[in-house]
Amino acid sequence: MNMGQAGQYTNGPMLKLAHVTKTFGGLTAVQDVDLEVWPREIVSIIGPNGAGKTTVFNVITGIYRPTTGDIALAGSSVVGLTPDKVLVRGIARTFQNIRLFNNMTVLENVLVGQHSQLRAGVLGALFNTPRVKHEEAEARKRAIELLGFFGPALVERQDEYVMNLSYAERRRVEIARALGAKPKLLLLDEPTAGMNEAETLDAVKYVLRLRDELQLTILLIEHKLTVTMGISDRIAVLDYGRKIAEGLPEEIRRNEQVIAAYLGKAAQADQ
Amino acid sequence: MSTLISPHVLLAVRDNRQLLLKWIVALLVPLAVFTFLWNGEAMANQVLLGLFVGVSTSFDTITLIFAAIFVVVFYAVIITLSGYLVAADSGQRSVVDLWLDVLVYILVPLFLVIGTGLIIGLALAALVWAIYLYVRSRVFTKRTIKSGAMLSELAVLAEEQRGELMRRAVLGGFWFATAFAVVSLVLDLIFYVVGQLPDILLVWVVLRTILLPIVGYFLGYVGGLAAVRRTIAAKTNGNGRGVTNVSKKRRLEVLSTARALEEAKDLVPNDLPLSSTGAQRFYLLLLTAFILFYPFIDPFLFGPGTGGRLAGYGDAGYYVILALGLNIVVGFAGLLDLGYVAFFAIGSYTWAIFGSTQWGLLTGLTIPLNTIGWYFWPMLLVTALVAAFFGLLLGAPTLRLRGDYLAIVTLGFGEIVPVIFLELDQYTNGANGIVGVQSPHLFGVDWSGFTPGPYYYLIVVLIVLVIFANIRLRDSRLGRAWVAIREDEIAAASSGVNLVNTKLLAFAAGAFFSGIAGAYHSAKLGSITPDSFSFGDSVIYLAMVVIGGIGSIPGVIVGALTVYAINQFILAQLDTLAADPASFLHAVSAAIVQVFPGFTFGNVRNLVFGVILVIVMIFRPEGFIPSARRKRELRRKEEEGPEVGSLDVVPGAPGFESEMRIE
Repeated sequence: MNMGQAGQYTNGPMLKLAHVTKTFGGLTAVQDVDLEVWPREIVSIIGPNGAGKTTVFNVITGIYRPTTGDIALAGSSVVGLTPDKVLVRGIARTFQNIRLFNNMTVLENVLVGQHSQLRAGVLGALFNTPRVKHEEAEARKRAIELLGFFGPALVERQDEYVMNLSYAERRRVEIARALGAKPKLLLLDEPTAGMNEAETLDAVKYVLRLRDELQLTILLIEHKLTVTMGISDRIAVLDYGRKIAEGLPEEIRRNEQVIAAYLGKAAQADQ
Repeated sequence: MSTLISPHVLLAVRDNRQLLLKWIVALLVPLAVFTFLWNGEAMANQVLLGLFVGVSTSFDTITLIFAAIFVVVFYAVIITLSGYLVAADSGQRSVVDLWLDVLVYILVPLFLVIGTGLIIGLALAALVWAIYLYVRSRVFTKRTIKSGAMLSELAVLAEEQRGELMRRAVLGGFWFATAFAVVSLVLDLIFYVVGQLPDILLVWVVLRTILLPIVGYFLGYVGGLAAVRRTIAAKTNGNGRGVTNVSKKRRLEVLSTARALEEAKDLVPNDLPLSSTGAQRFYLLLLTAFILFYPFIDPFLFGPGTGGRLAGYGDAGYYVILALGLNIVVGFAGLLDLGYVAFFAIGSYTWAIFGSTQWGLLTGLTIPLNTIGWYFWPMLLVTALVAAFFGLLLGAPTLRLRGDYLAIVTLGFGEIVPVIFLELDQYTNGANGIVGVQSPHLFGVDWSGFTPGPYYYLIVVLIVLVIFANIRLRDSRLGRAWVAIREDEIAAASSGVNLVNTKLLAFAAGAFFSGIAGAYHSAKLGSITPDSFSFGDSVIYLAMVVIGGIGSIPGVIVGALTVYAINQFILAQLDTLAADPASFLHAVSAAIVQVFPGFTFGNVRNLVFGVILVIVMIFRPEGFIPSARRKRELRRKEEEGPEVGSLDVVPGAPGFESEMRIE
């Protein structure tokens, strides 16, 4: 566990969900969920389909507003902020079904990710002031660096439209876009979904590097248990919108409730 | 290093002759047609006689001087272009194919313009192009010929190969100019023998014949420079130190087919040099010269009636500005606006009220009429800002709406604004409108007189400014955010784009430009009434954007000009023809009038637009000159079906959740 190693946040968790409930009309998607993610931790949320995992992400990032409860980043609440404001506070995310701007190039996608970091306004854009020029050049340089985090392949294909990339490459571009806003906390929604074994292995490696090299805190949703068990510091299990367990991977593996709700089903399906 | 390049890319020296022949014929024929069948030579001769020999011509000195500048620029650019094309051609495309293209795209419109005038000629040429493209694509799919440039010739050129390109360019320029000089000499001698050429001009003929090859040599060199600049140089290749340092060649090699097709346009050697980016620069130069000197060369090219034509083009100009403004809202940000005419009306009324006696009546602050024109310049900005403010006002309540709902609200706004101008009689004179709106003033330039030249130049300057602003906005952080919103609102918001501000800015920017168009419109017309701003106008503005190519700046300019031409020239021309008993249209329209009493072509303009829109949407849904992005989008949607990317409600707002599927 890396609890408490990231300097300024030693006094508290990076992300704290307190009694978060989200209802849609009569349906309760997330019920009374508590969760703490400490700086430079990798925490996974697992659970069967429809357990409310993505809803938790949507509530954290401001796409939904929690019905009740509080969400705090490094001690200050982000409830009620729009997604762009949440991002500025330091929470970036990727999507389960990759949401890139398909008709933009790889580089343009990553540049949009830096939108909140850039200052150019209408007048600056019209007159293309030296400051704006410099800012754009820097943004481009940084976008290429972000792509370079995943090796030379994406840097080479920076002028390609993302719809022509492979699935695994698109996942990487989406993460690079999320990194553009210099987040403290990164939410990854099924970062290995649809990948083969080699790609999954590669994804695991860069998720670890995101934490180790970029000092990021990571909260991820993942279906592949081999992945979650391997890289998570802690795991939280959701079932029917409720958190039924939380703990170290070993504890989760042995938790009866989890086995019943999740692993049990999988085990039955395997047989 | 020469092993880097495959033999077919750089032709052997003996093949240079074939290449030269190919391009000299391709360029010389249209140039000779322009010079000798049309008025190129007449223009040059008039200039020489008028300026140097002192023979009095029917043109004043200023016209002659500017015509002279145009002639020099025109021929110089063409000769330089010949150098560029010879150097840039990869030699992949067959001679017949190229000559066919030149025939259809250059000669046919040239003859049509000579025969029927600029607007009708270009309209007919567009028809010919459409038929040609259709037949061509049919033939190609049948015989499975692959068309279009690829990066197959992607190669790094070593220093000596770049030198070879330069040599070819110089040869191209030199031989093209020489061939042109010889053809001109022969024709001029014939004219001389027939007695159509004044003796004094023989000096010029001799001088020209000597000068042209020399000039061709140097201009060919310039063209070569333009070509070599677009090659991939050997020295920029292979210093790939570090992950983020990737060579240009490597970046191009890994591109997908679709993307490579786009990039191939920029590179030399090029399979399709006529449509390469380098050649487009030359066309732009020609177009700039043409537009800039148009009022002076018009009398040479089209004969008497320059004033009327210029006035017409001045009107066409504000359509262009409106289309460019609407393009920001609809094309860049993807917000359907059916009430764009409202901002145009607001802009028009702002200057109309201020620039007439109305202002004095309303406020008691009377500005002498002879100085009011000076205020036009600051008021142009104020007018635009007023319109932009109303853009924000309309934008604010519509932010929560998507697609069709948004369109309905904007439609309502477009209906309300003219009604308000109609009903506020004490400010706007109601249905009578405002008359006596003043024209702009500037030192020594008279906008209010009967010379339409100043208005022509005013609109050219305004259009250039607006195009410039459009390009800057498109390529900025803001432009990226607009496209991102259009593609996927949730992803855009999660990437840090503030949906509210960004959409409002799109509305404001669009309205800003329509304000400029409005001020120009009311100043030029001198009077304005509320009934000139109707829903039909909004639809026409939208049609300009859609027909031209949503999101594409050159596209919407062409779209605006097309719609204007149909509206003002072609339908009117048809009516004139129908009234002429000798024309076949007379019988046609007489037959229609039997069935529909009171029929004129002008009356059915909306029907004509409807038919054109339907045809364009079926055969070319991306518009005449589509933006690369839009083209791809449509192609992809055909394969995958539509995708829902926008929201009814801003994420995070109460009521948003009901929009979302629970995941």
